[in-house]
Amino acid sequence: MTKKKQEHEENLKGTLISVFFVGFVIVAMWVAVYLMYLSQ
Amino acid sequence: MLAAADRKLALWNIGVAYTAFLIGTLAGLLQVFIRNDRLELPAWLDYYQILTAHGVLLALIFTTFFIFAFFISGMSKSLGTFGPKVLLWNWIGFVVMLTGTVLATVMIVIGEASVLYTFYAPLMASPWYYVGLALFVVGSWIMGFALVGHYMKWKKANRGELSPLFAFMTVTTIVLWVIACLGVVATVLFQYIPWAFGWVDTINVELSRTLFWYFGHPLVYFWLLPAYMAWYTVVPKILGVPVFSDSLARLAFVLFILFSIPVGFHHQLMEPGISDFWKFLQVVLTFMVIIPSLMTAFSMFANFERAGRKNGGKGLFGWFTKLPWKDLRFTSIFIAMAFFIPGGAGGIINASFQLNEIVHNTLWIVGHFHITVGTPVAMTFMGLTYWLIPYLTGRKFSNTMKKLGFIQIGLWSVGMLLMSTAQHILGLLGAPRRTAYSGYNGHESALEWFDGILTNHVTMAVGGSILFLSAMLLLYIVIMSAFVSPKAVEPDEFVEFPLAESDKRATPKFLENWWLWIGMAFLLIIIAYAIPIAQMIQHAPPGSRGFITW
Ligand code: HEM
Ligand SMILES: [Cu+2]
Repeated sequence: MTKKKQEHEENLKGTLISVFFVGFVIVAMWVAVYLMYLSQ
Repeated sequence: MLAAADRKLALWNIGVAYTAFLIGTLAGLLQVFIRNDRLELPAWLDYYQILTAHGVLLALIFTTFFIFAFFISGMSKSLGTFGPKVLLWNWIGFVVMLTGTVLATVMIVIGEASVLYTFYAPLMASPWYYVGLALFVVGSWIMGFALVGHYMKWKKANRGELSPLFAFMTVTTIVLWVIACLGVVATVLFQYIPWAFGWVDTINVELSRTLFWYFGHPLVYFWLLPAYMAWYTVVPKILGVPVFSDSLARLAFVLFILFSIPVGFHHQLMEPGISDFWKFLQVVLTFMVIIPSLMTAFSMFANFERAGRKNGGKGLFGWFTKLPWKDLRFTSIFIAMAFFIPGGAGGIINASFQLNEIVHNTLWIVGHFHITVGTPVAMTFMGLTYWLIPYLTGRKFSNTMKKLGFIQIGLWSVGMLLMSTAQHILGLLGAPRRTAYSGYNGHESALEWFDGILTNHVTMAVGGSILFLSAMLLLYIVIMSAFVSPKAVEPDEFVEFPLAESDKRATPKFLENWWLWIGMAFLLIIIAYAIPIAQMIQHAPPGSRGFITW
């Protein structure tokens, strides 16, 4: 039981922020090309 | 160490893979120099012939043979030595696949099949090219079924137990491959072969393209999933942590079966003959693949963070510097993953219906697949090669090799960064793909494309040359590890197959219920394809006769 609890308390904040960063790259690249699309 | 017979089988597959890699990358080098008019080919060789060889040998042959080598080694390691039947059928599949490869390659080399690896009708190659492709696919099925047979034997002996993660992922990939190939087999057998042999006069072009892309998109997942297998099962072991979550890994893989097949129309968004509704439906299904992709990204970062923290990394990102950067097996795959971030983002742009108008058939696409299959997948395979070959041959992997390996991945990264960045930007400006050198009749706005600092022919040529250098260095390492390096003697000289522990006690059993996933896959395929394909057949446009443009 205590072992399980420990697993849940593992600190994965860096992981979460990193995945948000990946999401940000996706959105940024998408918006850049979208703006290009609008301006053409 | 694996049984000698299993190792031999894997090594032969690797041998064919790297032979294809040699010819394919040489073709790539020629391409960048032809495109900037620095190289004129002799009359018997033309640009499209070389480009066909490049696409076929790298994207189809190198990848598939390497993938089977990886599957064979990992299945033998995680489920036990192959029985005689499994071995026999693997060899039969290998020989059929090799026969098809040789046949198709000969047709390309003698100039009878300059139709590029997508072989769009109405371009017509020699019928033997299509026969070669068909044999290649059939051979891969035979090998695939042989591996599934090995898996089923294990399941029988271990009733009610979930299979080891590596085996589960291998079977997922084979299921995906077999369902995907139904499309290409249908079009090759029933459309191209009768047409190319002259049994019928015309071909339904729209239908052939649709069946091709029904196959073409899951094809990219057939390359990617084995790389993901390495990311999920090999990388944690190198990092010294168990698999982050067995359930998550399995769920992501089955979602890839569901969402990678009913989406081929995203390659046909610019085509008339398919109504907007069906295109839009498949665009939506395409976007679903972001879910398992980000699940994978999360697992990878979690591996890094747990490993880095274990090694004493503090704070929010302190773990990053504590990763085993001096380990070639890790760093190579890490770079591969990093390239996949813009690679995957680019894919979402390509599939975004209207945005496809900007990038369609431009050099952007070429830049895109060199930072998806050309680096994330290819460099993951390089990262596997460094240990897989010595593991299979029982030879040492010396420190000199390790240094050369670092130089090799460094060169590939720099070369690819130059080449693919140039291609992405050139494509956005409008420069087309799949063209030899063109002066565009001196048209100003076309010539302006190539005036940028990054966007000129020199950048692409320098990038391509660096890439080729890297490829040759890799082949040197391959040959050394296969034939030359001294045999390992001491226990610590043997190279291991790093395969992480995966705790499957909490994994729900339904994840390994194949009929459930195959059934859902077919349901989605029917929803996405049945009506538009029926319409294409019922209201078929006039067929086209064949064209030989070269
Ligand atoms: C030495 C390294 C490489 C170089 C210099 C190179 C260069 C090129 C160039 C310049 C093109 C575009 C030609 C055009 O559109 O006119 C191309 C196309 C292509 N490359 Fe590469 N490449 C390399 C490695 C790879 C690898 C490793 C893969 C995949 C595993 C790959 C897969 C492809 C594919 C599928 C095409 C498209 C072919 C077509 O349009 O039919 N390349 N490559
Ligand atoms: Cu696709």
